[in-house]
Parts: sequence; structure tokens; C-alpha cells
Amino acid sequence: MTAILVCLAVILVLQLLTPFWWWVMIVPFVYGAAAARSGWTAFQTGFIAAGLLWGAGSAYYYLFGSRIIAGQVAAMFGLERAGLMIAATALVAAGAAGAAALAGYAVRMLFRRSGKQAEVPGTDV
Amino acid sequence: MKIIRAAVSLLVVALIFWGLNNSHGRIPPLGKLMNPFAGFWQNGERTDALPEDLVVDGLAGKVRILWDTRRVPHIFAENDTDLYFAQGYVAALLRLWQMEFQVLHVGGRLAEIVGPAALPLDRFHRRFGMLWAAEKMDRAFADHSETRRIIDAYAAGVNAFIAGLKTRDLPLEYKILDYRPEPWTGVKSALLLMSMSYTLAGGSMDPAMTALREALGEDILDTLFPYHSPLVEPVIPKGTSWDFTPVPIPPVPESSRKPGANSNPNKNEPAFAGPILRPFGTRPGPGIGSNNWAVSGRLTQSGFPILCNDMHLGLNLPAVWYELQLSAPGVRVRGVSFPGAPAVVAGFNENIAWGYTNGGSDILDWYAITFKDESRSEYLYGGQWRKTMVREEEIKIRGADHVVDRVLYTHHGPVVRLQGEPAFDVADIPPDAALRWLAHEPSNEILALHRLNRAAHHDDFVKALETWSSPAQNVAYVDNRGDIAIVHAGAFPLRWKGQGRYILDGADPDHDWPGWIPTEHLPLVKNPERGFVSSANQAPAGPDYPYYLGWNYVSFERGARINEILAESVDITPKDMIRMQNDVLGLRPRKVLPALLNHLESERLSDIETWCFEQLRGWNFEYRWDSPAPTVFREFWNALNRLIWDDERPNGMERMPRPAGDVTIDLILNHPESAFFDDKTTPEKETLRDIARLAFRDAVEKLEERRGPPGDAWQWGKVKGTRIGHLARIPGLGRDNLVVDGDGTAIRAVGMDWGPSWTMVVEMGSEPRAWGIYPGGQSGNPGSKHYDDFIDDWIAGEPYELLFLKSADDDHPRIVKRTVLRGVK
Repeated sequence: MTAILVCLAVILVLQLLTPFWWWVMIVPFVYGAAAARSGWTAFQTGFIAAGLLWGAGSAYYYLFGSRIIAGQVAAMFGLERAGLMIAATALVAAGAAGAAALAGYAVRMLFRRSGKQAEVPGTDV
Repeated sequence: MKIIRAAVSLLVVALIFWGLNNSHGRIPPLGKLMNPFAGFWQNGERTDALPEDLVVDGLAGKVRILWDTRRVPHIFAENDTDLYFAQGYVAALLRLWQMEFQVLHVGGRLAEIVGPAALPLDRFHRRFGMLWAAEKMDRAFADHSETRRIIDAYAAGVNAFIAGLKTRDLPLEYKILDYRPEPWTGVKSALLLMSMSYTLAGGSMDPAMTALREALGEDILDTLFPYHSPLVEPVIPKGTSWDFTPVPIPPVPESSRKPGANSNPNKNEPAFAGPILRPFGTRPGPGIGSNNWAVSGRLTQSGFPILCNDMHLGLNLPAVWYELQLSAPGVRVRGVSFPGAPAVVAGFNENIAWGYTNGGSDILDWYAITFKDESRSEYLYGGQWRKTMVREEEIKIRGADHVVDRVLYTHHGPVVRLQGEPAFDVADIPPDAALRWLAHEPSNEILALHRLNRAAHHDDFVKALETWSSPAQNVAYVDNRGDIAIVHAGAFPLRWKGQGRYILDGADPDHDWPGWIPTEHLPLVKNPERGFVSSANQAPAGPDYPYYLGWNYVSFERGARINEILAESVDITPKDMIRMQNDVLGLRPRKVLPALLNHLESERLSDIETWCFEQLRGWNFEYRWDSPAPTVFREFWNALNRLIWDDERPNGMERMPRPAGDVTIDLILNHPESAFFDDKTTPEKETLRDIARLAFRDAVEKLEERRGPPGDAWQWGKVKGTRIGHLARIPGLGRDNLVVDGDGTAIRAVGMDWGPSWTMVVEMGSEPRAWGIYPGGQSGNPGSKHYDDFIDDWIAGEPYELLFLKSADDDHPRIVKRTVLRGVK
């Protein structure tokens, strides 16, 4: 839980300071490489943190003035309901972040002695 | 194992990153686009916040901008340079993406944004000389210090806005198409003007006419495509005396009379080798159908003259126009402007009001070129070989190597398509022919607009238009002294009668344009006896006008309807004029339908045919959205035209270009025995009666096939299905399935994707009162509620009263925001 919140907060700050979207991949990757205890944990943390952030962020804008634009972009993608764009936004971030965190963890594993790592899912969530 | 796992994970992540960071065909870069903090979510109504006071580098003094409830900026500057700077800034604020996209499109640079798919279109625009001419025009701006100052101030204003733009504030389309705005330049403003010339005066029937002449002979052609259409009331009323002695008109050269003399010397390929002759691609379609009229104070209730104008263009979002007021010492003007060019284009100031319809005169000719050999490095002219010039056009392509296109130029102009090259999709271009087009000549419409904005009376108006060259326009005028006028403005080559109707001989110096019609000899009328002036894209003058201007004008219907209403009007009010702009009575059916129905009287009809017949018989000729009668009439008319004309087409031509509506109507009403009614493809000899019956049956059958049994699906508005598409055709960003009254042949000429792009009524009293509307909204941002907020009122035909402020200190209840721009001290 802490990891998720930290990840989320770091991405949020970086996204507010810079226009780059890819913090949702970099931060979870770094987390996976530096701190995650398992692949599953890494994936979950990245997935939830980024998904939550982009989902909440888009929901906020949806509620406060971006409903029309969400409808138009939804129509561009052939979706009928504007609200679906919130889910789509959250999914894009969650998927990318989860994969990045998992890759980070895989890199981390390169530097660990084999056998020491036990892949216990979800221990730090 | 761990290495493989890590490598695969990294590869997958890299792929995801690459996939989300870049666009792929029609899929935008999803990572950038969906990012809630800088992607499309930022383009919602927060962009509607009007700017606070700003310090902007480049301003000499203080500029005050007052925004009204419809988001119209009223700009007050201390000098002209600041005024145009502020206009550029505001235009970019409202419509940056649109202004840049339009010029990238016309300048042949779309492939830079969308990739190889746009290459053919880019190549076409480069070949057509758009960029070449815009660069020339920009250089010519430098010859006139005032124009240069206006253009540069405007560009500086646009660039000041771009400089302050953060990624998250980029207009939506930049995010979808994944590119960034580049600095604005004078060339870009020139390209915007070029694009209007292309839209309004870039078509040509010359290749088709050349082919038809060879197949049918000149006599038949002169009947089907007459120099003066039978039913047309010209813009300048018949009987108006010409107050000048004409300059000598060049004689028709003997060489032009030889059959086939003007066609392409290389006969391997017919001149009309385009993929199709589009129904409206080459003739002025009703889409380019605008109206303007001015009534004298004698006819109005208030005693003040009234000017009315509705300019019809392709319907797009963002809209082609935006509204504004420009004020500085010596000028206070209100109206509409193009995003991308300075000054008010159509509108009014304290003293005058003016508005346009497209002139339609012929300013584009094709010259068949005789090249010496396959290298095409020399061409024949006046018995000598001249060197061909080459301009290399570098076309950058997103995701691919750039292409260099070597465009050949003769002294006439560019050779748009070479023999053996595939046809262009967008236009019917004769091979190995050079394009001579007035819009390629450097001209100064910007100065004309600048002066029109400041004109105080008729002499100023005439003087302002001296530098108007292209596209030719009928400009209607009123002023607060009570004068009304209309002029066919532009530059026009001095031609022999019919010069440029067919492809000309590029080797014969006698076929060149020898000079120009003097400006003071242009068709013009001021304060005519009848108390009004009007135009609707029809011929500017009748056969008594001494010069030849062209032949391919719009049919009679709208012009005659305007004149008919005004001739019977007294005590006119602005409200009456708004009602008239919404008039949907079709003169075409009123004129021709009774005669056609007569031919069906004794016919045995099926139930559905009887129903259709009754619809037509009971029709009041109004193109109302909920009526099925216009649907039946249009289908009937199209079938009739097909049956009358398509059998006349020469071998190899896919579709016969349609003679104008008035020619067909004249034939039906006044020459019912004409041999044109016979279908040459059958052994029998058909009469008008036979053709009318066949056409009616065919029309009803087609309608039933497409729309089922008569019902709501037959309603005119639904059949027409008006839509206002997004400029870049991005799905979801336009408005579809609009149900609107009107037709291209009625005053309210709303079609499927064209219609009144700006509708205006101005009563020119001591303080002008005006109404106006356009189909769109002031904001170019699809996420703004001001993107399309005028459309419903536009459909209803209810224009807004236009706020015209006297000073920046005005305290009008409709002002919602004041912004002050200051220069850096």
C-alpha cells in the first residue's frame, strides 16, 4: 500500500511539473528495479498506482469541464459514451506502468543470486 | 534464464513505450493523448477562460480587448501596427490549429504531418504553384511598406501567442496528430489568400470543353454552354449605360478557329483524361453560391440603406470565419475575418458596409505546350525554342524519406501534369499544359481590405478595391450618405471573346493575355433607378458589356428570386431582410415543374408514383426540411438531366458535363421539339414527353429502392443530410445529420456540406445596426462550448444582433471580460 502511494505521489509531482506522459512507466520501472519484492508485487503496484492516478485525474477533469472533449475523443475511437474515456485512460496508464514495473523487477533479478528470491505474491501490498 | 526474462521484459516495455509515444496510421500517440495532465483532458472548458492581462513582447502601446458573451473580441489599439499584432494574437488564441493546418494543406505540406497518404495531394498543390506563388506574393508585400508592416505585425502577434503556449495548452488536433505549431510567416498569410483563390477561382472547364468541341462541334457547344445564359438577369441590370470608351479588344486569332487547334498537340491521350468529370468539380457548384444585395433608403422603413450578404462555402469545423471588431485611431470596423490573415474581410464600419459573392469570371487558362523532346527542357513559343524553368519542390514525409518533385515552368506558368503521369484525384488536369492563373500574380488584397476597413464613402470604396486582384468578387456596398453600389471587382485579362474557354495554344504568342481590362471599366452600378443592387454568382454583365469576362457562371435561380422579392418590396426592415435570407422558394421547380407535370397527366401511374405526382403537384416550391416534395423533385430533375444529356457525351468521356439549369429549363419550356430530347442510344425517337415519363418512373423507383415506402425517410432535410465535418476529417469532431431547410438553387442555399458561411444584415444609419451568424463558434477547440454554439441558431435562421462598441470604455452588459495587452517596457 505504501509503495502504491509513494509511486502515485512521485508520478503526480513529476507529471504536474513536466508535460511528459512516460513518468507512468519510468517511476514504476525504478520501483520494480529498486524495491519490489516480487514480480507480482511490482506489477500490481505499478498497475494500481498509475491506473489510480490517471483514472482519478481524468475523472476529475471529466467532472470539471472536460466532458464534451471526452465525448468527442470517445467518438473518434468509436466509443459511444464519454465516461468510457476515463476507464480507457486508466487502463493505458495501468497497463504501461504494470509492465514497466515488472520489467524493472526482472532487471533487479539479474543482480540477485539465484535461489534467494522467493516469488511470494502480494506481500507488501 | 533470468537474462532472457529481463531481456524479453525490457523489449516488451520498450515496445509499449514506442507504441504509446508515437502515432500509428490513424491511431494517435495514446500515451501523450490520454495523459490527464497534458493530453486531451486539458482541452476541456478550462481553455474557455479568457486571457488575463498580459505583457507581450512586440507591442508599442497598450491594447485593450473587450470580449462579449459570444466570445467576440473587440480590439482597441493605439496604432495600426499594434492593432494587427493583437488581431494575430487573438486569431491564434481562438484558432491556431486551424490557421496552420489550412496553410499546410494548401502549401503542399500535409505529408509532413500525416505521412505518405497525403503525398499525392501535396504534390498536386506544389504542382499547381501554390507555394511558389505565395512566396512571390510575400516578396511583393515588401514592395509596399504599409502592407509589409500589416503582415509582419500580424505574424508577430501569432508568434507571441505560440511562444507562450505550453504543451498541455496545445489545441487538441496537435495532440491527436502529434506535432507542434511552427512560427507564422507572411508566406502563410499569402497561402491563406491563395487557398481562397483556389476554392473560388481554381476550377476550369477548359479541358472538358476542348474535348466536347472536338466531338460535338462549336455550334452545339455554344447552344449547350452559351456565353449568356437565357434566363439570367446579370448583376449589372440590363440597360445600365457604360460610362467609358472601351480600349481595343484583341482580335480572335485565326489559329484559334482551326478545329482542334487549341487542344493538346500530343494526341496520345485525350485532354479530358481525368478519372471522372465531377458533377461540380469543374462547374461552379451551387456550393460556391453566395448572395448579396443592398437596398436604398427609398425602399426601407427607416430611410437608411440596408446591406445583406451571405457567403457560401464548404461547411467545416472550426468554421472558416471568426467575428471581431478592430478599432484604432482612424478605424472602427466590425465583421468577420479569416483565421490567418489580417483585417476584417466582410463587415461594416461607422460609414460603410460591404459584402461579397464570388465573381466567377475566368481567370484561369490552360496552354498546351509543345516540348522539343522527352527531356522537356525546351518548349515552342513564337516559332522559337525557349528554355523550360525547373523549380524543385521538396516534400517532407512523416516516417519516410522526403521526395523532390521537379516542377516545370514555362512563361505561362507551371506544367501541373506531364503526359503519361496518372491523373490527380482532386482535379481534371490536362497533360503537358501550362497553367496561367491570375492568382499566381503577386497582388495586394490585404491592402484592399485594410483600406476597405477605413473607407468612409463610395470613392474610398472604389479606391480600396483597386488593389483587389483575385478571386474576382461582386462586392455590394452601402454607406450612411445613402449610396448603394455593386462592382465586379478583380483583375481581368483583356481577351478576345471566348479566349480561355478551350485549352489555348502555348506556342502561339497571340494566345497570351495581352493586357488588362482597365479598372475603371469594370462592371459597376451605383444608385440604380430600381433602388437596389444584387448578385448571386450569376454573369456580371449582359451582352452589351464590351469586354469578355467568361461564360461559366451560376444559373439564374437565386439571382432572379432576390430581384423578384426586392422589386415588390417597400418599407423594408432588417427583419424582412433576415426573413429573405431564409427564403427557400426554388425558382427552378416553380418554372419548370408545371410543364413537366403536364407531360405526366394522362400517364397510368402506380400507387407510389401517384403519391409522388401529388406531392409535386401540391408543392409550394419551398425547400422545407420536412417536405418530401423537394426529394422527389431533385431525383426527377437528376434523372431528367441524365436522360437528356448523357447520350450526347463523346466516346471515352464517362459523364457529360451538365449544361446549366437555365439551359435545360429553356429547352423544356421553349424548345420542346428539340432533338436533344431524343435518346441517341435507342432506335426510337423520344420526345420530351417520353423522357419526362421515363425520368419520373426512374426517379420514383430509385427513391423507393433507397428510402423504402414514402415516409419520414423521404423528408428533404433527412435526404439532404447536412453535415459540418471537421477540417481534417477527424471523426467525432464534426456535426452530422443536421436537418436544415434550403437548397443550392434557393436563396438559403444550404446543401449537404455547403451553405451560408457568414450571413449578415447591416442597416446603415448614423450608428449602424447589424445582425450576423455563421455555422460554428468562435473557439477552434472541440472541447469548448464555443466550438459549435452558433449552429442551432444557424439552422433556425436566427442571426445575432452584432455588438459594435464605440470605445474601450463602453460598459455594455454583454461584455464579459476585459484583457489588456502591454508591450515589454
